[in-house]
Amino acid sequence: MLALVDVNNMYVSCERVFKPRLAGRPVVVLSNNDGACIARSNEAKDLGITMAQPWFQVRHLQRSAGLIALSANFELYGDMSGRMMTLAAEYAPRQEIYSIDECFLDFDGVRGDLVEIGRDLRATVLRCTGLPTSVGLAPTKTLAKLANHVAKTAERKPGSYPSGLAQVCHLGRMSRHALDEVMRATPVGDVWGIGRQMSARLNEGGVHTVFDLLSADVATLRRQFSVVLEKTLLELRGTPCLEVDDAPAPNQQILCSRSFGEPVTELPALCEMISQFASRVAEKLRHQHSLAASVQVFISTSPYRRHDRQYSPRATTPLIRPSADTRVLIAAALRALAAIYRPGFNYVKAGVLLVDLRQPGSTQGELGLFAEEAEVEPEPVRPSLMSAVDALNQRFGRNAVAVASAVRQARTARHDSKRERMSPRYTTRLDELPRARA
Amino acid sequence: MDESSASHRLARTGRNPTAPTAPPRASVVIGFGSPADDSGITRLDLNDILIRNGQATFLMRIVGSAMRDAGIDADDIAVVDRSITPAHGQVVIAVVDRDFVCRRLHMQGGELRLCACDATVADIVPQEETELEIWGVVTTAIKSLVV
Repeated sequence: MLALVDVNNMYVSCERVFKPRLAGRPVVVLSNNDGACIARSNEAKDLGITMAQPWFQVRHLQRSAGLIALSANFELYGDMSGRMMTLAAEYAPRQEIYSIDECFLDFDGVRGDLVEIGRDLRATVLRCTGLPTSVGLAPTKTLAKLANHVAKTAERKPGSYPSGLAQVCHLGRMSRHALDEVMRATPVGDVWGIGRQMSARLNEGGVHTVFDLLSADVATLRRQFSVVLEKTLLELRGTPCLEVDDAPAPNQQILCSRSFGEPVTELPALCEMISQFASRVAEKLRHQHSLAASVQVFISTSPYRRHDRQYSPRATTPLIRPSADTRVLIAAALRALAAIYRPGFNYVKAGVLLVDLRQPGSTQGELGLFAEEAEVEPEPVRPSLMSAVDALNQRFGRNAVAVASAVRQARTARHDSKRERMSPRYTTRLDELPRARA
Repeated sequence: MDESSASHRLARTGRNPTAPTAPPRASVVIGFGSPADDSGITRLDLNDILIRNGQATFLMRIVGSAMRDAGIDADDIAVVDRSITPAHGQVVIAVVDRDFVCRRLHMQGGELRLCACDATVADIVPQEETELEIWGVVTTAIKSLVV
């Protein structure tokens, strides 16, 4: 039996642990340029604020509805996530950390009443960290996700599901009738793996609820939809197709992108930022012991600045010899930037993306063939230099050591995200501890 | 930063950037293993001594002097464990009307009070409309004595 444990409104819940004043009030957390709502308290959801809604569209609710907006404080959320994950891991032999606020637990071999165990887990995480969680229990990952959705919705919207399913919901322990009722009450778009487009197409075909989907003809579905839907269907029927993976594969792509505090038009400023992003992706790349075979760069204007001319190009520089060397990746990224940059545009976002990742040792022996035209390393990679750079940055803070083209931006932080409303990093900085009156 | 605020900061963090630091670590080859290597002995670690449940432990900065007779002064760091069940006589962090307050918990005969440890400060006796929650139990106060 599997469980999906998930923190309710994670980012808002983390803020509330250290800011009791936020309890019961509508709260949103904004993305790192204060541009969009990336987390909402239940009260904010009740105001009709949707996920990823631009901040300027809901800003007026500050005055009219007492809405409170905070800038994302990922240092805090990361630490709180680590606490929750460690506590949850003690309840089952295997854990897959699926995202910052959710993990799968595999209870294979665990004896006892899993609903009781789930309630104990929930109570322990709440007592130790202050974070409210929901626990969904079921025999497959897709069903565990669904069970979690039911547990959460039953608590937030009384009447949506039977109240006994709130907080901890075990779909594997229900009567046929009760299970059918749950499936009838759940829109097909709430199922993990069924996106908005597929959900719209299913609706057109008369499939609205999970119950409809389960009653549909498999052969017809297979003809109309991908094999992915077939897997989802099997999982919904209780046949596991997705394993709990406690050692996730290395990331297949690595991205560092950011929206700027204010628009940027000049090439030198973009070069600084792209260099900095390339340094960051190189660091992540080395962290997972991979090499990149190409470097993609994108820059973008803002569709919200309606009077601006729009231009959002991207370009990829291939590397003949895959590399994880910061200097090589920066050089490749800057070459891509030079190819796409046009003056006279107000750029508000840029990023560096590595997609073609390789494991060391799997590279082809085509060294030097295209030496003149390609981004071949000037000399063999120096893993020791790069690990020294990583170690220094780990110890003294990001950008303690950087390649020169990334420096000016890093030190002046002119284009760093706005983050005007960020709370203190309560658990990771000694000079930002929460204060208690005595 | 002026001098007074610099020394204030030192007192709070207990760290002195001008003090001589440990020599940089170098890799040294020694002919014989250290006799302590295989004995299974490890140096005492303050984390083990001060923290019982790491996932439930948070640090808080004390502001004000109402706990001074309990040995807790302004700028001390309170080690707060949320996993401990609050009991009579323990020093706790309470949320009183949505603010963190450090007090000694009095919980006897069905009566609940938050007692200051300073004769000049009145106890907090929750009224009907008071919102009160015990956030965690203070297990240790860390006080820097460096001047």
